[in-house]
Amino acid sequence: MLKFVVRRALWTIPVILLVIFLTFVMMREIKGNPFRVTERAVPASIQRNLERKFHLDQPWYVQYGYYVKGVFTFDLGPSLTQRNQTVNDVIKEHFPVSLRLGLLAMIWAILIGIPLGVISALKQNTIVDYLSMTFVNAGYTLPNFFIATMLIYFFSVKWRGWTGLPTNGWDNGLDGWRTWILPAVALGHAPMTYFARIVRGSILETLQQDYIRTAKAKGLRWRRIVGLHVLRNSLIPAVTAAAPLLGFLIAGSFIVETIFSIPGIGRYFVNSVTGRDYSVTMGITVLLSIIIIVANLLVDIAYGFLDPRTRDPRT
Amino acid sequence: MSVQRGLGPASVTERRREFEAALGRTAEARSQEAGVALERASLWRDALYRFAANRAALVASLAFLVALGYAYITPWVDSADPYFVDFSEQYRPLSWAHPFGTDQFGRDLFVRNALGARVSIEIGFAATLAIMGVGILYGAISGFLGGWVDNVMMRFLDALYGLPYLPFAILTIVVLGGQATFWTMVVALTVASWFTTARVMRGQMITLKENDYVRAAQALGARWYRIVFWHLLPNTLGLIIVFVFLELPGVILGEAFLSFIGLGINPPKASLGSLAQDGYAAFQTHPYMIAIPSLAIGWLILSAFFIADGLRDALDPRTRG
Amino acid sequence: MRRRSIIWIAVAAVLAVVAAGSSAAATGSFGSAKQTRVLRLSIGAEPPSLDPGLATDTTSASILINILDPLIRLGPSPDLKPLPSAASSWKVKGTVVTLNLNPAVRWTTGEPVTAQDYVWSWLRTISPELGADYAYQFFGIKGAQAYNSCDPKKQNCNALRSRVGVKAVGKYTLRITLSSPQPWFIQQLSHSSFLPVYKPSVDKWGDKFTEASHFVGDGAFLLSSWKHDASVTLVKNPNWRLASKVKLDRVEMPIITDGNTAANAFDANNIDIDYSGVPPELIPKYKKTPAWHVDPSLGTYYYGFNVKNITDVNQRRAMAFAIDRSSIIKYITQAGQVPARGFTPRSIAGGTTIDKHAILPPTSQKAKAKAYMAKVKDPKKDIHLYVNNAPGHTNIATAIQAYWQRDLGLNVSTKVLEWKQFLEFLGPPPNTDVDVYRNGWIYDFPDAYNGLSLFTCDSGNNNTNWCNKQFDSLVAKAAKTADFDRRVLIYQKAEDLLDGPKGDMPIMPIYWYTFVHLDRKNVKGFLIEPTGNFDLTKVSVT
Repeated sequence: MLKFVVRRALWTIPVILLVIFLTFVMMREIKGNPFRVTERAVPASIQRNLERKFHLDQPWYVQYGYYVKGVFTFDLGPSLTQRNQTVNDVIKEHFPVSLRLGLLAMIWAILIGIPLGVISALKQNTIVDYLSMTFVNAGYTLPNFFIATMLIYFFSVKWRGWTGLPTNGWDNGLDGWRTWILPAVALGHAPMTYFARIVRGSILETLQQDYIRTAKAKGLRWRRIVGLHVLRNSLIPAVTAAAPLLGFLIAGSFIVETIFSIPGIGRYFVNSVTGRDYSVTMGITVLLSIIIIVANLLVDIAYGFLDPRTRDPRT
Repeated sequence: MSVQRGLGPASVTERRREFEAALGRTAEARSQEAGVALERASLWRDALYRFAANRAALVASLAFLVALGYAYITPWVDSADPYFVDFSEQYRPLSWAHPFGTDQFGRDLFVRNALGARVSIEIGFAATLAIMGVGILYGAISGFLGGWVDNVMMRFLDALYGLPYLPFAILTIVVLGGQATFWTMVVALTVASWFTTARVMRGQMITLKENDYVRAAQALGARWYRIVFWHLLPNTLGLIIVFVFLELPGVILGEAFLSFIGLGINPPKASLGSLAQDGYAAFQTHPYMIAIPSLAIGWLILSAFFIADGLRDALDPRTRG
Repeated sequence: MRRRSIIWIAVAAVLAVVAAGSSAAATGSFGSAKQTRVLRLSIGAEPPSLDPGLATDTTSASILINILDPLIRLGPSPDLKPLPSAASSWKVKGTVVTLNLNPAVRWTTGEPVTAQDYVWSWLRTISPELGADYAYQFFGIKGAQAYNSCDPKKQNCNALRSRVGVKAVGKYTLRITLSSPQPWFIQQLSHSSFLPVYKPSVDKWGDKFTEASHFVGDGAFLLSSWKHDASVTLVKNPNWRLASKVKLDRVEMPIITDGNTAANAFDANNIDIDYSGVPPELIPKYKKTPAWHVDPSLGTYYYGFNVKNITDVNQRRAMAFAIDRSSIIKYITQAGQVPARGFTPRSIAGGTTIDKHAILPPTSQKAKAKAYMAKVKDPKKDIHLYVNNAPGHTNIATAIQAYWQRDLGLNVSTKVLEWKQFLEFLGPPPNTDVDVYRNGWIYDFPDAYNGLSLFTCDSGNNNTNWCNKQFDSLVAKAAKTADFDRRVLIYQKAEDLLDGPKGDMPIMPIYWYTFVHLDRKNVKGFLIEPTGNFDLTKVSVT
């Protein structure tokens, strides 16, 4: 078992290096001048000064070397467009916001999604099932930006008097909790539907298993069967799906962050790509891919514990 | 001759006749490939019956056809000039003349949404098929060959998972000439979304290659690509079809996302995503401009999803009989 | 049972993590103002930098002229006369400008701001090591461009540094030697790039000297906090030389990038001024209300031709005449812009005279356009129109495409490019596939020279491939003419070569920019100056 964990963990290092390299190549191929911010052209001498300052006049392998060194010394370099900030600053300022938003969205998704899935599975094909599945599917299929704008429109503008919810902004302090609600719901909506469906499917499958039938035949109370056997076994796929999902949530939804004016890492990342801020793009990509890869690793390890077949390197 | 199930012949002679007929049939089947042909005939007919019995899937298929009808018939019947600009017709509310209202240029939105749906559906299918192509190829090869090749290919896939979606899309668009046309969007969406298919395909391959007929084919000297393409892939056809309808929503949403960011299709052509982006700015005063394309996207995705569910139930060997 | 309680414990643990406030806990919500006089003003983007040498946009510039004291302030439109501020008086003789500084200007540490502070700050901005985007503002000073072009890795730049024409000839006297007589230089000094920085702060904190806790200024307000990508807060500087005239105690500037979100915040009374840009679709809602404010700006939105592709001047004129500028402004942009009659805005001093002969019509003139088109021997029918991917630009492009398609029978395809890609295609020189492109110019200083000099043969901002020696010589002559009225006449001749009756029409101006903001009724005195700055010392909240 330990060998499996170690081997799997060691593989993440070349993967992360590969991610850095591929992103580096991608950003170079996109071209575009990070220093030209408006239609106004940058005078040649100033362009040269800026390139020299940010090592862009060096050959590509030297630049790549800087990035790799930066990753391992935790100094990700200066931002090309936000001149008085380094990438570390950017991450320190914005990552906690995205982390909190992602966690809250996940909590919403779990708190609403799992019970919904359980109820519709246990009451399959009744009106309860149909209603909740319609609700869930509507949420899943409508685009993110639509749900976000509708939430603002109804809860923050039309019914402002009753809800007292602000239309935008994010206050990371505890008394700013009102600003967290709508964005978390908007972001957590899709994962919520995902959980509901997975849990429902998983419970339906479990209910068909022989041992459930045995338990019923033995005369156990339905409540105990559900609580003890069904839930425990059905929730596993949902829980293991949660880890990489959390990774994606934290990567931040650009759309939710823009519509709600949240200073998170998703919005910053998109702006850095469109603005060709190489160091910020590289830094955030590294951070996010580490999160996602580590999440995947944890899931694989969890599966390794739960299902011995996956430990076999031959499969 | 279809195999009858359940009821058997009454008498011994009939049973013997049945037995001999069955022998003859299996001999015939052996001369074909590993029983695939026989399985296939009953599998598809079976699946069709089960699919039709699934009410939700039927309704969804109907809904999908309605959407296709709207998208393709409407502009044909009610022609719309994409270069039409008449500011006096701006922002007209919903009416008989304009069932979905008009936009900021006075263009009728009923027709524009149909045109947009057309583009979205076409991009969706094109990208999905491309995703299938790339994903299946990669996954099948990786799964079948196994060993260190599989390991390396899967780790590479892990790395690709870690890459951010947006630079991928921009890069494809840039490399293909700079503006987002129909084909650049298709390629961009494909490049960024084929990973899951590859993974699933690989998993399937790993399970399937343990089958006896594969060993038999290998013993007979068949090369690996023949086994993969001629034997294994047809067995996964059902799964592939299900996957088409599962990936379609992701692609349509991806197109909407890219349009929302501004990387959408060139005006005056429209896709549902670009129409939604147009409507976003006006959502407080004219909410129908964003609601209608969003609901259209939802409609397409919902029906695709139930069709996929229905197909999966119909084709899944575990829940059969 | 035990498994379930584990789940509850896990949930509780996650909630605890979420609840633990981050270190950068925000205090102060954006609720309504308390007893102190607070102004809540939304800005549309995170300031890229609050270093005067590196601040490239109007938001940063505005914040800077409120936390630092500018040498010159500009008077009201249209003259925009230079008024004394940190410089109490000045003398211009040929290429030598002498500024006398006001001794009452002090850093927040109490030390006086001296001429040496300016010398050090300006040399720092011009230096090649800093990589300041706005170093070009200083290129009018003798030796500045040479120093900026020096490569510190290959040569010793100190010699060039000492030859830059900026010297402190007394504790409060600054002498500037220009490379040529530039009649607009005093007005140019009002720009934020000429503000001084506090050397000990820069020495101690390096790039971080602009953080709120490290910043030392000399202006009307103090930089109280800067939460990146979230908000900027200023408080009144009680020790400013004119502190008694400042009527605000605190200014909170939340950064709201999305126009819809900002409008919602304005409606919900979360902000007093919405300066994040009102999306055109919302404009009809606010236009008739007293909250609506439009201030003229010095800038031109125009479409440029690639004259190597569209070679016949009559075709260019036809395309310029087919555009209905008023309709575009009325129905698409809707922010009270002025249809451009020429390139130089009329709101600039002398603008009406400069544009007097320009022929561009405010509405479309289909007959004239068709007449021009008929004169074209070999018209280019397939037009590639390049814009970048912002909704405003694509909307305008859609309308213009329709006009050309419908009225001139051209086959126009709009190519929407992502921003940086678009800039690459712009060049100069523009990509060969580009026939028409959209462009805009915001004036650096309030003189027509800044706009007209764009179209000289070797201008780094001439994306048209148009080169006219006569135009170049007119522009060069104007730079040497100190007398205002004579200069205006020279500008007029130059403008005629662009869009006069015999002009070449390498560009097609569409409208002159405006600034739009929504103000609540309790806000008085807030306006955006034509250069894009806002002066908070003139604002009050009741």
